Amino acid sequence: MSAQDRSAFRQSVPLWAGLTFASFGMVMGLALSDAINATTTLILMIVPAALFFQTMRAASRKGPCSGRGEAQRLYIKRVAIFSSLYLVVIALQVSLLDGEDRSLAVRAGLSVLPGLAICGVFWAIGRLILDEKDEFLRMLIVRQTLIATGFALGFATIWGFLETGEVVPHIPAYWFAVAFFGGQFIGAISNRLTHGTWGSL
Amino acid sequence: MGLAVKNRLKVLRAMRDWSQQELADRLEVSRQSVNAIETGRYDPSLPLAFKIADVFEMPIEDIFERD
Repeated sequence: MSAQDRSAFRQSVPLWAGLTFASFGMVMGLALSDAINATTTLILMIVPAALFFQTMRAASRKGPCSGRGEAQRLYIKRVAIFSSLYLVVIALQVSLLDGEDRSLAVRAGLSVLPGLAICGVFWAIGRLILDEKDEFLRMLIVRQTLIATGFALGFATIWGFLETGEVVPHIPAYWFAVAFFGGQFIGAISNRLTHGTWGSL
Repeated sequence: MGLAVKNRLKVLRAMRDWSQQELADRLEVSRQSVNAIETGRYDPSLPLAFKIADVFEMPIEDIFERD
């Protein structure tokens, strides 16, 4: 393998992202099946967290080629931090609350942490809009985020009424955050179709 | 309905033998911005339009006009 190939391998975002999700799935699978205890889960969560950092570093290294500025680099760093925190606290929540009788304060504390970590990602998107100096890229981010927000709110509203009509089963409300991130993908496609670029989110 | 604006960015850039990236660096914007303005997918703000005029050392009305 040449030095160029090794460099391309190290900078492959899909590869690192795939390894991150695979390792996270494995650890969560082991934790949920009681194959490992809470402490072991926490220790093993270092693996997907480290892989996630590598994913973000690879994405950041691609920067100069795709014209990413300082605002995008800061955004990637912030998302990496909050996503890593999310991975850790979700593992903590799953392993400590799984079948255990904890006090209300402990349950509330453990349950609010993953939500706060995701709120950190929302904050990072807001900071990116403020930090981005390139007006065209800023417009694309705002456009993409508005589409994502509309998609998530639409999904929440329609699903809520379908639930009332007993057409669909009840789902936890955090799925609307997942819908928001799915909406970001739709927003990126919309940006590509209308403005010729995917944007920078 | 919004006012349609066309520009001579691509021609002026070609006359100076600048790449999109070179022009983007001079304007301190991304290459995507230059491409979007050139292809008419994005109309720049007034401050950016003045900056473009400064870079080309031309009056703004010689670069941008009503479609």
